[in-house]
Amino acid sequence: MSVAVRIPTVFRKYTQGESQVRVDPGTIGELIGQLEHRYPGFRGQVLTDDGSLHRFINVYVNDEDIRYIQKLDTEASEGDTVSLLPSVAGG
Amino acid sequence: MSDEFRISSDLAEEMVQHCKEGRPNEACGMLGAKAGETVKVFRMANAARSPVRYSLEPSEQLSVYNALDEQGWDLGGVFHSHTHTEAYPSPTDVRLASEDVPYVIVSLATEPAEIRAFRIIKSEWGAEDGEILEIPVTILG
Repeated sequence: MSVAVRIPTVFRKYTQGESQVRVDPGTIGELIGQLEHRYPGFRGQVLTDDGSLHRFINVYVNDEDIRYIQKLDTEASEGDTVSLLPSVAGG
Repeated sequence: MSDEFRISSDLAEEMVQHCKEGRPNEACGMLGAKAGETVKVFRMANAARSPVRYSLEPSEQLSVYNALDEQGWDLGGVFHSHTHTEAYPSPTDVRLASEDVPYVIVSLATEPAEIRAFRIIKSEWGAEDGEILEIPVTILG
């Protein structure tokens, strides 16, 4: 078992087209570190220069928005699904 | 990357109907696709509740992604309406474009409604500028 991470379409150029990848359990910050190690450049897509979550990205652990729990310190455990969702908007 | 947006006339009509029901505000939603053809219209709420802006509620977006995974479908596009202007990306559409899928715009300025589809190509996903690339729309019998 591991944690499944859903990759939005716009980041799949980093994951060789994979829409879902598996990582080891940990905090969301640690998971992003694992993804950066595997897919260099990934972290800069999700986090700002000061290390906080990009304002146009929403991260869910299962059906919980991490902004309303422990943000990047939120734990993802075995069997959880982490979804990275770009804000979709326009005019 | 598909260079064509394919949808049945029934699903196109469902998308247009959702847009009409949203007036006077813009309406929006997502599309499920299989093998490059649209198979599902997800009618979604416009969290911006505005005649000139739209945004998807992230929790509803998550529900759509769950449904796509359960069905084995791809995200086939994002659609929204322009209530009084042509079916062409506005500067706001370009600035906020964030998914690498067709952006389908339904213009209600004419009757029947006009459906056009575009890709918005950006150097970085958060970039404010982007290139608008129109892709052909095929409405199937």
